[in-house]
Amino acid sequence: MRLRIPVLLAAAAVVAAATVAAGCGGGGEKEKAGSGGQKAASQVLKMAWGAEPPSLDPGLATDTTSSNVLLNMMDPLVRLGPDLQPVPALAESWDVDGKVVTFHLRDDGRWTNGDPVTAHDFEYSWKRTLDPKLAADYAYQLYGIVGAEAYNNAKPAHAAALRDKVGVKALDDRTLQVTLTSAQPWFVQQAAHHSFLAVHEPTVERYGAKWTEPQNIVTNGPFKLAGWKHDASITLVKNADWRSADKVALDRVEGRIIVDGTTRVQAFEAGEVDALDGGGLPPADMPRLKELPEYEKYPALGTYYYGFNLKNIPDVDQRRAMAFAIDRQSIIDNVAQADQIPASGMVPKGMPGFETIEQHFLPPRADLDRAKEFMAKADDPKQKITLFYNDAPGHKEIAVAVQAMWKELGIDTTIKAQEFAQYLEFLGPPPNDAVYVYRLGWIADYGDPMNFLELWTSKSGNNNSRFADPAYDRLIEQARNTPNDEQRYEIYRQAEAMLTGPRGQLPIAPIYWYTYTNLERESVQDTFQINPLDQFDLSKVVIEEA
Amino acid sequence: MAAYIIRRLIWTVPVVLLVIFMTFMLMKQIEGNPFRKSERAVPAAVQMNLERKFSLDRPWYVQYGNYVKGVGTGDLGPSLVLRDRTVNDVVAEQFPRSIELGLLAFGWAVLLGVPAGVLAALKPNSRVDYGAMFFSNVGFALPNFLVATLLIYFVSVKWGLLPTSGWTTWQHKILPSFTLGLVPMAYFARLVRGTMLETLQQDYVRTAKAKGLRWRRIVTVHVLRNSLIPVVTAAAPLLGYIITGSFIVENIFAVPGIGRYYVTAVSARDYSVVMGLTVLLSIIVIVANLVVDILYTVLDPRTREART
Repeated sequence: MRLRIPVLLAAAAVVAAATVAAGCGGGGEKEKAGSGGQKAASQVLKMAWGAEPPSLDPGLATDTTSSNVLLNMMDPLVRLGPDLQPVPALAESWDVDGKVVTFHLRDDGRWTNGDPVTAHDFEYSWKRTLDPKLAADYAYQLYGIVGAEAYNNAKPAHAAALRDKVGVKALDDRTLQVTLTSAQPWFVQQAAHHSFLAVHEPTVERYGAKWTEPQNIVTNGPFKLAGWKHDASITLVKNADWRSADKVALDRVEGRIIVDGTTRVQAFEAGEVDALDGGGLPPADMPRLKELPEYEKYPALGTYYYGFNLKNIPDVDQRRAMAFAIDRQSIIDNVAQADQIPASGMVPKGMPGFETIEQHFLPPRADLDRAKEFMAKADDPKQKITLFYNDAPGHKEIAVAVQAMWKELGIDTTIKAQEFAQYLEFLGPPPNDAVYVYRLGWIADYGDPMNFLELWTSKSGNNNSRFADPAYDRLIEQARNTPNDEQRYEIYRQAEAMLTGPRGQLPIAPIYWYTYTNLERESVQDTFQINPLDQFDLSKVVIEEA
Repeated sequence: MAAYIIRRLIWTVPVVLLVIFMTFMLMKQIEGNPFRKSERAVPAAVQMNLERKFSLDRPWYVQYGNYVKGVGTGDLGPSLVLRDRTVNDVVAEQFPRSIELGLLAFGWAVLLGVPAGVLAALKPNSRVDYGAMFFSNVGFALPNFLVATLLIYFVSVKWGLLPTSGWTTWQHKILPSFTLGLVPMAYFARLVRGTMLETLQQDYVRTAKAKGLRWRRIVTVHVLRNSLIPVVTAAAPLLGYIITGSFIVENIFAVPGIGRYYVTAVSARDYSVVMGLTVLLSIIVIVANLVVDILYTVLDPRTREART
């Protein structure tokens, strides 16, 4: 999650874009610096972070910025490879035996105070995150572990007993055994999430909530936290004692916290920073920025969608008509402008198994003829509807475009904005009866389609559509217990078909799949990479001679 | 005088209590869950743990009582969103920067706004007057975010004279404080012009002129001093405004101050931060008003008698 910028600032961005666009001529051809450039003498990366990390405690962090700072300061059990498959990090190997996953840790993991990193650290940390007294927002990331939810849900009196029943156990210093509630073949991948990082027990116990301050913190990753001026700067320095420090090129990462998107771009253009943290570029600046040689885009695992309240638009043919009338490509080209991909389903492109799961039903361009055919078939179609969105930059413009597209079907759409926190309450589930259509998005926590498809089960707290189908719930449950990838993807295909296939119920009309856009100086462009989960690994960045 | 100040200080207690009560009630009225930070639903167990941790599961009067007790002992409580920090931490680290920004902005306003007003009033309807009033109108009319963006674009990106953003060296502080100072500057210029023109018509100015005092002395001793009273009156609430209302300027120039928290904390439903900052703001405004009232007695002897 990122902090939202008020409308006023969006207006500022528009003004800025106009002035800046007027000031500069068109950018040149995009030329990438040839790979294999000379390593520069100074390995100091200056970058801009898009937010103050609300917490650098792996148990408490929930947002992208905190997550990225943490993943560069800490040593996860696994990291994600280019295809999102887990690759060894602190765990040199792992065995999966049904519901039991055993991680084998390297023997050279070290905390910055010299203590060895052991499996006990992980057992302590995961149980700490689940401790009801810590009250971690993301405790549920660990709910796949046996006994985790029960412990997290415990009344204070029963907590101690339930703590011992959580299925995570250090068999010895280097062996961590995890027992899951079901097979969950994505669990090893999920361990790359920052919620699964270890914390240093003596430090946490000694300093309490203040253990993350630079003078107290003890970490175990490629970089150390040398300074953290709240809301101003984060300085990371290379951890020379890290197990693979010889492979880390950067000596220092001087990070400035710049929340305003336009200012971040201006700081980059003034040469004050060499890379942004991938938090996205201001939409109004996109046409100009896209032409810069420093512009980079990366595929993301995320889906921007319009959900239908099935109570108010009960006829599936009307929902089909509305989904077909949306010109996704036009919205991307003219409104969103960040080279997103027109979405045909809930599961985004790039997700493992996507080729199997993909439904070829919803078109990238509006198909008005078919839309009208569907509309004609609809029983008592609703002609006056209300579309809700949260009041953040970009959503209104898309809503206005869709409003015009639905006008072609004779649908009179009123669009209404709400402030984000209020909006989320308003959507339920169940959604307020005033809602006909609502906007939301979903960004992946881990690289398995489960993360997107389980949203639409009848008990899901993220299903605001009133779509409820026991057959769908059964499919999702079945997938949880299907370790074989191909078989599981086939189950996902059936589930996706029930949502967005030709006979699907269309509780949602997906609009686009997200991309991450960024500005990176050409000297770091080869090695600064953002993965589809919005993570970047600074230990791989090398500054080349300009 | 001392009795007067003490009386005023005692009065701040019920005022602050009322502010806490009203803010508290308003916060309770807004919908929205402080623990739902994104579209991700919060599982019931997690919600319960968080409410228990922050005592939101207790009846409202208990929460209110605990909060008031906390404020009494100088403890503004933990932030619900910034989990590693308390409201006291936020105030201690961020607030001095906002004060600095506010004072610098105020400095610009006094330094440029007051002389502009004086010059305009001494030569009414002259070119100087029109020029000063033109800039005053423009300064008043242009929104902060536009000025900020233009200044960054030209001064920093295009000409490379000053850094775009941040708050480390003195160079970083010029653009944000100037931007924030623009509105009070324009306001002061108009205010000083108006009151000066009025004072210049007063009998005692004519008397002073008649008895042969030098014009410069009349202006500095008689006119300016009396013209500054409304400026001082306006200054106190204005000072409160620029210290706390600097959200846009702080955000655009990435100044790590407290202004942005006034807005982001409300959006995030970070109850304790909203409450803490509101209490702080009200105390500032109360103190600023008190200082102004004391300054009155220095500037205008007539008000002294009524109070003692």
